[in-house]
Amino acid sequence: MTLTKQEFLISSGLRVQTLEFWLEQRWLLPTEAASGAQFSDADVARAHLIRDLKSDLGVNDEGIDVILHLIDQLHGVRQAFALMRTALDDDSRTI
Amino acid sequence: MAKNPYDVLGVSSSASAAEIQKAYRKLAKKLHPDLNPGDKAAEEKFKEAAGAYDLLGDADKRNRFDNGEIDATGAERPQHHFYRDYADAGDPHAYTSGAGFADFMDSDDAFADLLRRGQRARANRRGEDLHYRLSIAFVESISGATKRITLPDGGTLEVKIPPGLVDGQVLRLKGKGAPGAGKGGPGDALIEVEVMPDRRFTRDGDNILLEVPISLTEAVLGGQIRVPTPTGDVTMAVPKGSNTGTTLRLRGKGAPRRGGSAGDELVKLTIVLPKSPDPELEAFVENWTKGKKFDPREGTL
Repeated sequence: MTLTKQEFLISSGLRVQTLEFWLEQRWLLPTEAASGAQFSDADVARAHLIRDLKSDLGVNDEGIDVILHLIDQLHGVRQAFALMRTALDDDSRTI
Repeated sequence: MAKNPYDVLGVSSSASAAEIQKAYRKLAKKLHPDLNPGDKAAEEKFKEAAGAYDLLGDADKRNRFDNGEIDATGAERPQHHFYRDYADAGDPHAYTSGAGFADFMDSDDAFADLLRRGQRARANRRGEDLHYRLSIAFVESISGATKRITLPDGGTLEVKIPPGLVDGQVLRLKGKGAPGAGKGGPGDALIEVEVMPDRRFTRDGDNILLEVPISLTEAVLGGQIRVPTPTGDVTMAVPKGSNTGTTLRLRGKGAPRRGGSAGDELVKLTIVLPKSPDPELEAFVENWTKGKKFDPREGTL
């Protein structure tokens, strides 16, 4: 399911200025379609995370940048591990 | 029954708003599921802490809770999906960064190879191996042949039968399987070859066995006979005094082996008398005294 910018603002409860700032910081990367930005469920969940970090955990904007970058790397590593597990499975099957 | 929110946050019931926020932040930093993508238990604990903070972090709700107007369950957060549920959902997306391990991929060790292969396996999956069956004649299994398989999609596949192939052997044609995705390359075609039985030849390892009938004359006096081999007829000398069961060896006329040599063809002779009784033969045997004295069963029965 994808949301337009308007729908995303309503579902996330974000203010327009806040969202604009997040997009500017490239914390959120919605898909650019001809009809405008398309927000996925993952974007909504990521917005939730950013809000948790800012409001509940008291992280400032510089901190958000660092945390998101590290989390994105962590997920990259997790995916690499998942791929390796599949590769190892495939190997043991062919042997 | 939900736990007492003060216990969850580890604060006293007289704690100030600032103390409550500090306690919650301390817990949330450790427990937030998105900061612990692989820890399933963190989510439950985080929800508990977040629920407690929802209640105690809001002065109005905290008052009503303290006065017993709402219980600890009253403030549980609505379910929402954490970012990690999407980030871990399989295919790499816009946010995923390989920066955390890119340096590993540059090296030449087994680990980097596995990573690279793993990535190819997902994005560039190799095509499936396809299995086929093919029946060939015995002679073709010995001397080799080129066969064609008609594929389900109407195409054909040329299969080279190596000389000396044995029944049930599987031939692998590289890249002739199903197409792969991306740069994965196609799979292989695996062809199980069945060798049809031959009415003349049987196979025993690298040797080929064959029974050849000979006449009484050829047995007694010897002679040249024509014998089939998988690669064509050859002339073979039957020695004088050959018997039923005598086995002659045609060297190198068996199944080819790896390395260029080949097994032998073993020719087993069987004496066959003329179909119709022959008066001349009967008269000869009648007068053949030595033949009457010979007992082939002597000592065996």
